[in-house]
Amino acid sequence: MKVWGDLTRASALLAMCVTFASACGGGGGGGGGSAPSPPPAPPPPPEPPPVSFAVPDVATDEHLAAGDASISLMNEDAFGASPESIQRNFRLDATFKGGNAIFRNDHEGEGPLLNARTCQGCHIRDGRGSVPADTLTPMDSMSIRLSTGVDAQGAVIPDPIYGTLLQTFGLDSFRGSVADGLASFEGGSGAAIGEGFGFVEYESVQGNFNDGTAYELRKPTYKVRDLSYGDLSPDVLFSPRIAPSVFGLGLLEVVSEDDIRELADPNDADGNGISGRVNEAFDVTTQTNRLGRIGLKATVGSLLAQTSGAYVSDMGVTSSFVPDETCTTVQTTCLDAAAIEPNRHPGGANGVDISDVELAFVEFYVRLLAVPQRRGFDEATQSWDEGVLAGRTLFFESGCGACHHYSFTTGVAPGSVLGEIDINVLVPNAPDIEVLSGQRIYPYSDMLLHDMGGSCDVISRETEAGNVCGAGENCFWVQRCEGLADGRPEGLASGAEWRTTPLWGLGLVKTVNPNATFLHDGRARNISEAILWHGGEGEFSRDAYLAMSAQERDQLLGFLDSL
Amino acid sequence: MKKGFMRTTLLLGIVGLLAACEGDDGDDGAAGPAGPAGAAGAQGPAGPSGTPSSVSREDVVRTNANIAYSAYSDSLLAAIFLQDALEEFVADPTQGNFDAAKDAWLASREPYGQTEVYRFRVGPIDALLPDGTIGEEGDGPEGAINAWPLAEALIDYVANDVDGDANPEVPASTASITDNIIADAVTFPAITTDTVRDNFELGGDERNVSSGYHAIEFLLWGQDLNADLTGSGPRDATPGQRPVTDYDNTGLACTSGTGVPATAITCTRRGEYLLAAAQLLIDDLTDVTDAWNPNTPGNHYSNFVAGGDTSLAIILEGMGRLAFGELAGERMNIALLTNSQEDEHSCFSDNTHRDIFLNAKGVLNAYLGDYQRADGSVISGAGVDDLLAAEGLTDLAADMRAALEDTMLKVGVIDQEAKTGVPFDNQIQIGITEPNITSAIQALSSQTDVLETVITGLQLTTGDLRQDTEEDI
Repeated sequence: MKVWGDLTRASALLAMCVTFASACGGGGGGGGGSAPSPPPAPPPPPEPPPVSFAVPDVATDEHLAAGDASISLMNEDAFGASPESIQRNFRLDATFKGGNAIFRNDHEGEGPLLNARTCQGCHIRDGRGSVPADTLTPMDSMSIRLSTGVDAQGAVIPDPIYGTLLQTFGLDSFRGSVADGLASFEGGSGAAIGEGFGFVEYESVQGNFNDGTAYELRKPTYKVRDLSYGDLSPDVLFSPRIAPSVFGLGLLEVVSEDDIRELADPNDADGNGISGRVNEAFDVTTQTNRLGRIGLKATVGSLLAQTSGAYVSDMGVTSSFVPDETCTTVQTTCLDAAAIEPNRHPGGANGVDISDVELAFVEFYVRLLAVPQRRGFDEATQSWDEGVLAGRTLFFESGCGACHHYSFTTGVAPGSVLGEIDINVLVPNAPDIEVLSGQRIYPYSDMLLHDMGGSCDVISRETEAGNVCGAGENCFWVQRCEGLADGRPEGLASGAEWRTTPLWGLGLVKTVNPNATFLHDGRARNISEAILWHGGEGEFSRDAYLAMSAQERDQLLGFLDSL
Repeated sequence: MKKGFMRTTLLLGIVGLLAACEGDDGDDGAAGPAGPAGAAGAQGPAGPSGTPSSVSREDVVRTNANIAYSAYSDSLLAAIFLQDALEEFVADPTQGNFDAAKDAWLASREPYGQTEVYRFRVGPIDALLPDGTIGEEGDGPEGAINAWPLAEALIDYVANDVDGDANPEVPASTASITDNIIADAVTFPAITTDTVRDNFELGGDERNVSSGYHAIEFLLWGQDLNADLTGSGPRDATPGQRPVTDYDNTGLACTSGTGVPATAITCTRRGEYLLAAAQLLIDDLTDVTDAWNPNTPGNHYSNFVAGGDTSLAIILEGMGRLAFGELAGERMNIALLTNSQEDEHSCFSDNTHRDIFLNAKGVLNAYLGDYQRADGSVISGAGVDDLLAAEGLTDLAADMRAALEDTMLKVGVIDQEAKTGVPFDNQIQIGITEPNITSAIQALSSQTDVLETVITGLQLTTGDLRQDTEEDI
């Protein structure tokens, strides 16, 4: 499987990325990492910005967020509804509802290894997952990706035993009562249980805004214990991630590649301190290379590829696109359990767990999840709340808009490559999806990779007390990082780069899931903390936020809350 | 004594109000007082012969609202009768009282299934707020009343090998509970309506359904464990087999499943859960029924009947969305695609055939403007069919009626199959009577095509659908 057409180009980009990461450390000096540990003394007054950032005029349809694909719902179901034109079309409404049912329910043949039994189990009400309440509760809408690096083509090199993802549960974790269903590890019992138990410990980091107001951040340390299948590789890398929200992706999927590439500035030619790089992805559903735009490191090019990938890695549900379970060759209990699965549907060499029709239902559902309209706009007078407008100006003046690119117009949204759903069969040549096509959208993301600063130590093996862990002891595998970096490259993305997260729906995140938190691993308890974690290319904006008056901060947060 | 008095008053109140509203349907009401005598006038010209074309769009809307009130009132009454039967059973847990309680549950589903055509239209069932006003889709009590699949493992003991998932989708969402609510007397010293309501969608997990019809159903029938009673064997034709000893009140013979002894308190708590769930169901149904009460100024009923074409459009939209998206789609097609018992609506009692039949019947009721009440009396008024005729669209009226009757025929087959020993969970299995399900889905699909032409024929543009409903209704 060739991921990138041009090997030398990929290597060059990777090399550049390393150089660039240190260059981008900016004020932090020497590779960033200053984000979580601001100096105790009040910082010096902010320097004048090296460049000024333009504030785009407010568009007349900006309050809609996604044109015809916007909805007015503002309650806990705000991320889980289809646009009104779909609701009014009985057939498309039925397809959406069918997809919702499959998204909510479990599947025959799930596992043997899995992180959740249903899509909805992680993407809570189609929104974000939650960090476990304590260190004894398993990660059930969060997971830890694994690798030992990337190969010359940028492809992730899996851990020899555990693969590319630590699965918290095995099918046998769910036998017995609800209490037993919580990752009940029975290492060595031969049961198909989970691979290991990951958890997070937080350390408080204090700091002050320039006006003296104090803030506190939670700096995470990730640990993995109770490994079921032996030791992790000595050079293993971790990337802990919260399940992101899934609405609006159908629109982002059909923004033209050219429009996104046009925003890329890998060498920072315009000298504004912000690069923006494209990730590339081989798409299993079209067997072509595509621009990566989905996933926290933009490693996936289409929603169907994302859906089939998540089915197999997070739920152990195989499909015609990804017909093999995630068991590695040394996980024999996993392989044994996989061998007795019914594999009811055609696909792969021995059948698969989910049919193409079901997959098409889920793809349609996710593509058609609408975007909530903005708050702060008065329909009657067609006017914006003054505070929201002031916050919007501050947002752009602070340079946030350089990565959180505010608007695109979608291209034509083709029907599924699987075909059109006619009740329960697939008919070739699915028609274009009108409500997703040609829409002016305001996602506040350029879908490019940006260096967010920070770096990680080598994963250490420790005893529970934090001492060196020797052979035969119950070891904890510990990841400590500075800043937002996870130290785990993926495709062209470095260990400090992340795809700009779309900000639409931000103000409703906690309405939909009250336990939700922010950033890729949920470390930020609120939006203010999320801003304060920005380093690397985001450091200029972070510093601008630190320099704001209390009123300006309120206005900025008010604007973000209106998204 | 006091409770009995209040109940009688409530029952009389509902019946009385219904009698008052029947005049709106074109039915003969009670004779009013004699009017003043008038002087004889001159003989007028002869009137035109034939059917009076007096049916207006407002008449259709008003009939639809009156049927809503009748059907929700019937559902509320049936829930009250169910509560009576449950109280009797918990106080005196004999097999006879157990069977009577199950019969009362089955009876309670008959009117409720016909109310589901009032879903998907931002009406009280989906959008009623606690203050009695209409909010957004999802704000209403629908989920608490009728959500499925149930989180049975959150409520009581389960066998985990049943095909389909008895567990919450987010295991940590129930981490605060040891085993289940009935078993956990430490976290929940008493099981009250608050316990049942507070644990609904616990931890933000939509699968944590703890209340409503299906919670009561589970507590009466238990899981449908198939032929070998483990849940993993081949499906059989029987529903769940919960033993009556699960409610033992002698303090000596309490069980949690056939032959599994349990502490006496477990049986007591199971009874408490049953009664709390019944009370909550009554509370929620009372709110919805009140919103449709024709005699309450300013409520949903009065706004709806004043809604003109917007109301007419949402009647038709609700018919289409229930029939196709919910009934043909989620309740039949998805169950067929996934072949999972957990994906059948009334999986514990094997009563899904009635859910299907009654949902389809509700759509037919809305079209004809007819509804047969639980006591056998008929509410009849202007239907969509009368309107089509009045507006000269007789061919369309005939097509729509034919399509609806074809659907009733096809869902009638599913109903009959189930009554003669092949329940829905068997019918969806490949190689059994799957074609019955497929043809019912096809009939609902054809019905949807005709409904779309009806909407166009009545010149109800998409602009009438939903656009203004949030402000006006």
